[in-house]
Amino acid sequence: MDGVSLEIAPGDRLALVGENGAGKSSLMNVLYGLYQPDRGTISADGRPVRLRSPKDAIALGIGMVHQHFMLVPSLTVAENVVLGREPTRRGLLDLDRACAEVEQTCRRFGFGLEVRTRIESLTVGSQQKVEIVKALHRGAKTLILDEPTAVLTPQESDELFKVARELSSAGHAVVLISHKLKEVLSFATRVAVMRRGKKVAEVPAEKTTPEELAALTVGSELSRETNGARGPKKPGAPVLELERATCRTADGRKALLEVTLSVREGEVVGIAGVDGNGQQELAELVTGLRPLEGGKLRLCAEEVRRLDPSLARRMGVAHVPEDRLLWAVVGPMSVEENISLGRQHLPPFSHGGLVDSRGRRQRACSLIRDFDIRPPDPQAALSRLSGGNQQKVVVSRELDCAPRLLVVVQPTRGLDVASVALVHRRLAKERERGCGVLLVSLDLDEVLALSDRIYVLYGGRVTGELERASFDERRIGRLMLGAEEATFA
Amino acid sequence: MLEVLEALLFLAFDYAPALVFASLGAVLSERAGVVNVGVEGMMRAGAFAAAVGALVVPTPLGVVLGMLAGACLGAVHAYLCIRWRSEQVVSGMAINLVALAAGTFLLEALFAPTGTPPIAQLERWSLPLLKEVPIVRAASGHSALTYLALALPLAFHLALWRTAFGLRVRAAGEKPAAAETLGVSVSGVRYACVVGAGLLAGLGGATLSTSTLDRFEHHMPAGLGFMAVAAMVFGRWTPLGAFAASAFFSLGNALRIGVASSAPAVLQVVPQGFLLALPYALTLLVLGLQRRRGAAPAALGVPYDPETR
Amino acid sequence: MRERLIRGALPSVLSVAAALLLCFAAIAVVAASAKVALDAYLAMVWGGLGDLPRFLDGAGVAVLARPWGEAATKAGLLALTGLSVAVAFKAGLFNIGAQGQMILGAIAAAFLGAQLELPALVHPLLCISGAAVAGGLYGLLPAALKLRRGVHEVISTIMLNWIAVSLVENWLVVGPLRARASGDLSISGTDEIAATAQLPRLLGETSRLHAGFLVAVAAAVLLHLWLSRTRLGFETRAVGLAPEAARASGIPVHGRIYQAMALSGALAGMAGALLVLGTEHKFPATIGAPYGFDGIAIALIGQNHPLGVLATALLFGALRAGGTRMQLFGVHKSFPELIQGLALLFVAGRMVWDHLLALSKRKRPAEEAPRA
Repeated sequence: MDGVSLEIAPGDRLALVGENGAGKSSLMNVLYGLYQPDRGTISADGRPVRLRSPKDAIALGIGMVHQHFMLVPSLTVAENVVLGREPTRRGLLDLDRACAEVEQTCRRFGFGLEVRTRIESLTVGSQQKVEIVKALHRGAKTLILDEPTAVLTPQESDELFKVARELSSAGHAVVLISHKLKEVLSFATRVAVMRRGKKVAEVPAEKTTPEELAALTVGSELSRETNGARGPKKPGAPVLELERATCRTADGRKALLEVTLSVREGEVVGIAGVDGNGQQELAELVTGLRPLEGGKLRLCAEEVRRLDPSLARRMGVAHVPEDRLLWAVVGPMSVEENISLGRQHLPPFSHGGLVDSRGRRQRACSLIRDFDIRPPDPQAALSRLSGGNQQKVVVSRELDCAPRLLVVVQPTRGLDVASVALVHRRLAKERERGCGVLLVSLDLDEVLALSDRIYVLYGGRVTGELERASFDERRIGRLMLGAEEATFA
Repeated sequence: MLEVLEALLFLAFDYAPALVFASLGAVLSERAGVVNVGVEGMMRAGAFAAAVGALVVPTPLGVVLGMLAGACLGAVHAYLCIRWRSEQVVSGMAINLVALAAGTFLLEALFAPTGTPPIAQLERWSLPLLKEVPIVRAASGHSALTYLALALPLAFHLALWRTAFGLRVRAAGEKPAAAETLGVSVSGVRYACVVGAGLLAGLGGATLSTSTLDRFEHHMPAGLGFMAVAAMVFGRWTPLGAFAASAFFSLGNALRIGVASSAPAVLQVVPQGFLLALPYALTLLVLGLQRRRGAAPAALGVPYDPETR
Repeated sequence: MRERLIRGALPSVLSVAAALLLCFAAIAVVAASAKVALDAYLAMVWGGLGDLPRFLDGAGVAVLARPWGEAATKAGLLALTGLSVAVAFKAGLFNIGAQGQMILGAIAAAFLGAQLELPALVHPLLCISGAAVAGGLYGLLPAALKLRRGVHEVISTIMLNWIAVSLVENWLVVGPLRARASGDLSISGTDEIAATAQLPRLLGETSRLHAGFLVAVAAAVLLHLWLSRTRLGFETRAVGLAPEAARASGIPVHGRIYQAMALSGALAGMAGALLVLGTEHKFPATIGAPYGFDGIAIALIGQNHPLGVLATALLFGALRAGGTRMQLFGVHKSFPELIQGLALLFVAGRMVWDHLLALSKRKRPAEEAPRA
């Protein structure tokens, strides 16, 4: 973040937009006292202040709702809200008074929350309300919402913005951090655009358009839709078929309910849905990371009863997972070791149980060239690479397997524009080659841009299937909410 | 029969306090999210400092010195784990090894290889009413520390679940980032708890050398610190649970000693080794049978790094 | 490559140096004399590396061979328990249970050594194998508890250590396997092992250096090759560093963890065999020293690298052999253990070293900048 100035007045509805990694969250973390600025000043009510910790920010009436909720799951709503400024009586925690106070705050701002419930038994939408109550309870005058709709259904988002609007008309300033331009324009009165750590523009919301904002955020007229030139192609035989497939989440809840879908050679099938509606589990099911509990799974027309990651790889399934540090790479190992991962038992990576370091080096170097991975050092520890280059390592490795089915989840999250374009180009190339691609993304625009066909997931069920010719954003939105009966193209 | 039972209870009342204090300390530290396998070493430091102190100053002051010695090691553990985000088990084991070797070195250098000279043991309190009643009179005739060990778990229970500080401790152990964003200093809470754990482990050690015995012996605390960790786990990371587990282990130990001295024939059937292994085997069994992801705090063992939330 | 080696080893070297200095100061303060501390340290060095000054005065090879024997014997035990902890670490498990696994290995070796009648050479090999199997099986327990029931291995191995001590030392050794009394003398520990089971001495009778040392060195080298050059070793490291990524790559994570813990237990069991076959010639009344905990220190100071572990074990083996000589200066023979404990504490504060090294590196270019 570099030389950014920003002014916020009471009643303001300011939006901060920019690509991932543009510095939006860092800026707000400085404002909330979590990071310290190297240079520059922060002033409140005209006086310069120093924010050494969130405590100072709270004292100045700044409240923040984090992208990842900052709630203690095992504590109740009331306990979470009063944490840090607990009412006491004779040295003991006065839980009754805490509950009464929090209830009062909830009533005052119109939140219907049961304050004695534990956080872990609340829905995501309610948890977010608790986050807002936490800030308001501390007398926040300025409310920072960091990507608040990433995990919400559109209805929950609408409700959130309604509340936020009411707060702003009551004199609170609301700062919305988002990269969803539509919600930004419908909510904010002012929009500040961040790019590569700098503020590149600040415009009134009514005087701009999504197109202009998009251009400002990416820095040129480079459009997100990189594969406009894709030729129509006739898909081939199915590489993946699910028939009434059912599976559970890690904590035992039903994640997928009788899902039936297919992916054919040479087509990109997109999965649309709000986060947490079974997409993650679908990807894990197909790659053998999660067991199938009911229904059938066929890979290349062959029914598989017990799929595990190793069998999935043998059958030609490649996987670019969402959380690459968790699922795809071993950070402390070198780039070449990471490239061998998954095929470490095969030539050219090993022979007869022994690692073939020369074969591995050669293959790694050729992939590093092909994908322009930087630094071009096969022995560099993977964790020293930038996020984009790490992702390139994963994508290059998975494509090098010449898969028949490629499962990609959020493949461009957190990547810079050039890397996004590269990944999209490569996916299109795989499609041309005849590989079936299953694309899971929370970014609906990405799904719409790349897919030949879209399935919509809601509550673990397929609520709709659409062919490219009939893509309709409004309708997909309704299907994502379960607001429309399941229909199939 | 009654006398045997009474003797057993008396033995348990003498043996339990050290375990109770140390396991409470372990609960405190781990509730705040810092793994504490260094209890053994902190107890050793406490036992040594208390005995050496009691050679010079009155024994109660020696106990305080023992607590301070434990707290010093606790502070080292806290500094490494919190300020430098060290691997917490490594730091704990290092403290154990240092205390083991340093105790031996100092003992040899200052006194004799086997132990310090005897000191004035803590005064034993004879409770006027209790000592007339059979069985119950086993509770009489112990040092003040025994009675403290009976009261402290309840105080800790209240402190953890009924005070603002307790709420912060639990938040720091479950989700430190959440506490930090509300202006609670996670480091501060954790420092307090880990140093407090050292204080309590030191008190446990001091109990061994000033109340249970009247000197520091070279092998002290002979694994009692690890048993305190077992008691904490067995008691599901709660003060009352840890107390109950400590009491249970102490009774088992008293039973073993009682059997060995009064009914050696039993040992022909049930070897002493089986009885010694029992507390540990039981703890393992309970752990093995419980549901996955037991009662341990969610952020236990995870160093808190404010920059990577 | 070389730079990486230096960067990896530097914190350990600094930690050991700091511990040596601090302990030097401790003796100097306690004895109120730096001279005493210097003499004690010299005694420790010559007692561990061989008494060079006396050898140069023409005192014969024995003044070298005897300390070497003591140092190598201790280094062998430290290396094996250290490797045991290190290999578990590589698979992502903190094995605090080397002590218990070692005790099981020792009792197995003592039993096989005393009960079987076999030719020399075969007998010790069989005893070592038996010890490895006993230790390995005991090492599988915490792995199974972790993988099947989610019990953290630090807790379970602490418990298993005390269970092993209780069952072996307070039951087997004083009960079923107790030495048969000869005449009126009651003997502690188990029966002496057969002469055929004893590990052969390498330097004749003047030195206790026995073949067990070679076993430990071979184990370190083989483990290094296994981890760095074989597919299984690679997979084990991947499991230890990123278990979910390993699973997604098709590596059988549970299998690798079981395998690593069996190997870890086997190495600790072999340490027990070395103690019985090479030094004690029976299971004594008590194992006495916390070799398993020493293993943790050795593994971590050696940065969990098999060759680093070997080097650390050699260093502390020599210091410990020399430690007995320190008694002449009123310092307990366990003094090197204090050095070892402090070194581990400093290694635990590795981030401190990294911080200091980064500071000094940052400062240097800044100072040189004006000249350039």
